[in-house]
Amino acid sequence: MDINSITVDLLSFIKADRTNNVEFNRIALQQFAYQFAHNKPFAKFSRARGKTPRSVTSWKDIPAVPISAFKTLELSCCRPEEAEALFMTSGTTSNNQRGKIYHQSLCVYDASMRSNFSKRFMCGVERMDMGILFPTPEKMPNSSLAYYLNLAKMNFGLSDSSHLIGRYGIDLDSLIASLTRAERTGQPYALLGASFSLVHALDSMEKLGFSVNLPTGSRILDTGGFKGQSRELTPDEFYDSLSSTFNVPRNQCINMYGMTELSTQFYDNGNANSPSVKSGPCWIKTRVVNPLTGADMPKGEAGVLVHTDLAHINVVNSILTEDIGIESDDGFFLLGRAAGTVAKGCSMAVDEFLTATGFAGT
Amino acid sequence: MIIEHAGYLPGVDADSVDRQAKLYGREGAKISVLLPVLHERQVAQLVGHVRDQARLKLKSRPIGQIIDAIDLTISRLLDREDPYRRRMDHLLPIITGYDREMVRLGLTSYLKTFRKPQLLRFLSEDFMNPTILDGFQPLPKGGLGCAFGPKILTHVWAGNVPGLPLWSLVAGLLVKAGNIGKIPTAEPMFASWFSQLFAEVAPELADCLAIVWWQGGNEGIETAVLNESDLVLGYGQNESLEAIKRRLPVTKRFLAFGHKVSFAMVSAEALNASKASTTAQLVAYDVARYDQQGCYAPHIVFVEHGGSVSPEKFAQYLAYELAVFEEKFPLRPLSLAEASGIVSWRNKEEMIPGGKVFCADSGSWAVSHQTEENFLPSCLNRTIRVVGIDALTKVPAILAPFSDLLQTAGIAAPPEKLVTLASSLGEVGVTRVAAIGDMTSPEAGWHHDGRFNLLDLVKITEIDGRAEVAADQFASYDD
Repeated sequence: MDINSITVDLLSFIKADRTNNVEFNRIALQQFAYQFAHNKPFAKFSRARGKTPRSVTSWKDIPAVPISAFKTLELSCCRPEEAEALFMTSGTTSNNQRGKIYHQSLCVYDASMRSNFSKRFMCGVERMDMGILFPTPEKMPNSSLAYYLNLAKMNFGLSDSSHLIGRYGIDLDSLIASLTRAERTGQPYALLGASFSLVHALDSMEKLGFSVNLPTGSRILDTGGFKGQSRELTPDEFYDSLSSTFNVPRNQCINMYGMTELSTQFYDNGNANSPSVKSGPCWIKTRVVNPLTGADMPKGEAGVLVHTDLAHINVVNSILTEDIGIESDDGFFLLGRAAGTVAKGCSMAVDEFLTATGFAGT
Repeated sequence: MIIEHAGYLPGVDADSVDRQAKLYGREGAKISVLLPVLHERQVAQLVGHVRDQARLKLKSRPIGQIIDAIDLTISRLLDREDPYRRRMDHLLPIITGYDREMVRLGLTSYLKTFRKPQLLRFLSEDFMNPTILDGFQPLPKGGLGCAFGPKILTHVWAGNVPGLPLWSLVAGLLVKAGNIGKIPTAEPMFASWFSQLFAEVAPELADCLAIVWWQGGNEGIETAVLNESDLVLGYGQNESLEAIKRRLPVTKRFLAFGHKVSFAMVSAEALNASKASTTAQLVAYDVARYDQQGCYAPHIVFVEHGGSVSPEKFAQYLAYELAVFEEKFPLRPLSLAEASGIVSWRNKEEMIPGGKVFCADSGSWAVSHQTEENFLPSCLNRTIRVVGIDALTKVPAILAPFSDLLQTAGIAAPPEKLVTLASSLGEVGVTRVAAIGDMTSPEAGWHHDGRFNLLDLVKITEIDGRAEVAADQFASYDD
């Protein structure tokens, strides 16, 4: 199988947008064979687990690569210089090494994003006036989120849509101007951005004593959590303040869960109740597993999430995250991160060792 | 459900103390611990009471009697039928998740190091003449000296390894201090039970110690306690120790015991077919015991090339032995964060060129074999790194950059090598050399992190030799 036919296959699967487990399995295995053949470190990783295209017959058995591996390995089927885009993960405090994710072509990423975004966020509306609380791709060329949000603006935004982050943070004047314009014209408005940018926006607006009654049909998309970049709020506090400051009901406040290590995103159906159920389109499947054995957790028990994303063609389609979740009937609940452990006794944990010795970042 | 009261609060009306319930254990075996939630006023009352009682009852008591009281308490705890010991055997595994047999055997061997002969050794390790704690004794340089413990010694404990608070609590009693022990949420009961039993066994000393708890970060209570203390012993992460230090007035003393890293070394002489498997078994024991949560447990084993068993083969032996221990003493249930940590560690180790990881299907242990000669900790919970090395004499240089963090070296080597290695390890900061298999059970009187456990706690008041002579001229018998 070459990359072109795999791409064509997948694009038609995305276009059809119909759950078809047999087809999902076929494409996943086909991709596994392709990735195994063209991605040496991944082949080594799979072999070490006794998994080869010959032995794997179900997509569930495709070895899931832990996201930490992206920091040390070049997991790409194409040569890095042939890649159309390179997205990088943000470094954490204990380890500033950033994971690299190469996309040979972004056409599948774009198709996946557009189809899913249109269905889950736009909900039938073709275009809306949008404000993006995140830097542009020009400012952050390796940020998948900057790319994603710009894609939303280009494909689903009306001509007045704009990025609202300037050199010194939120461009408050433009934000207020856009919100006031929407309030005046009655045209629904969509505010999209990192969760922490929205908190900064809330804080600045509160300082000014400014709130706005956005017209019916307006909506908000937040993603990524607070990451120590803003105040930490509980989901209820966060969505309550969004709702009261912008007059957008909580069921129109959509949270997107995405990862640089994936090409498909998950959404909830608003946050009238938190935590909300997240789900993705038919070309991504999520399992809740015991991270040590990879076995599925009994339904209703917390485990670590494994995503198999058929749109992630150039890298690996299955990844083991550090996110904790619980399976639900129509998706999963996201409960938080499973990283950054400290020792329970008096021995030293790796992270602490790295910090103590100043080796963090190596 | 079983409910236990944590803490020991003499001088405070028990009914007036608020309690916060915390659940431990898993489905089918749960226990609820009621942690004391003290108010600043109660803290002041408690500390004042302990200070007064210690001055009245402890200072004038001969050290021998204090030893007897501790010894009696320990003998009760060594008796498997004693109600306190039964509660420990039954409930500590539920609280900590550690295997029941491992806790039971561990407690017995640990408590044995606090019997009277061991306590005497503990004392004589630091004081040539332990009665210096009772009154003025001649000093070798001339004159007289008497050792005074702090009026209030505060212990801030951390971690879930059962029994660890006993070291410093006993040290505090031996130097006749009034003791305030802050129990960790991870394991709040051992110190509580010990103190409750001690009060039962030695009612006359019952009010000289208190066991308290506060939620980490509760600055009000913490500051109140710290302000009342003369000396503070802190255990745990550097970050929390820093926080204590910042809050402590400059006139108070603070002894910090931060987290440490330990390791093992196996020389070529210990690597013939028969000795290698015994050594692997002993390393596995040190790894399995309390799942490496103690600071004396090995993170890494340096294995010398040149024996008939290669370092990689040794890693396989070790893997086998860990599998055997898993049958005998299973790993405690891990949190998802801990499990994810292991996956990420295993994965990183595997990716290092030349690296090889042997691990259980269940994920309950992992051995990583590496050829690159460097020092990186494992991620604990029965994960260990085996590093092949040309000569063990190269190890100290590898460790040198981590000098502040080193603690125990477990060594399997012939006598002359043991001493040579110990000397160069000491130079780079290692403070304890043990036989492999004994790494996790320090002997009575050991110097924790290279310090004097008792001597560090006291102040000596000395009577200058000339003062004695000068005093003579004022005596009634002076001519």
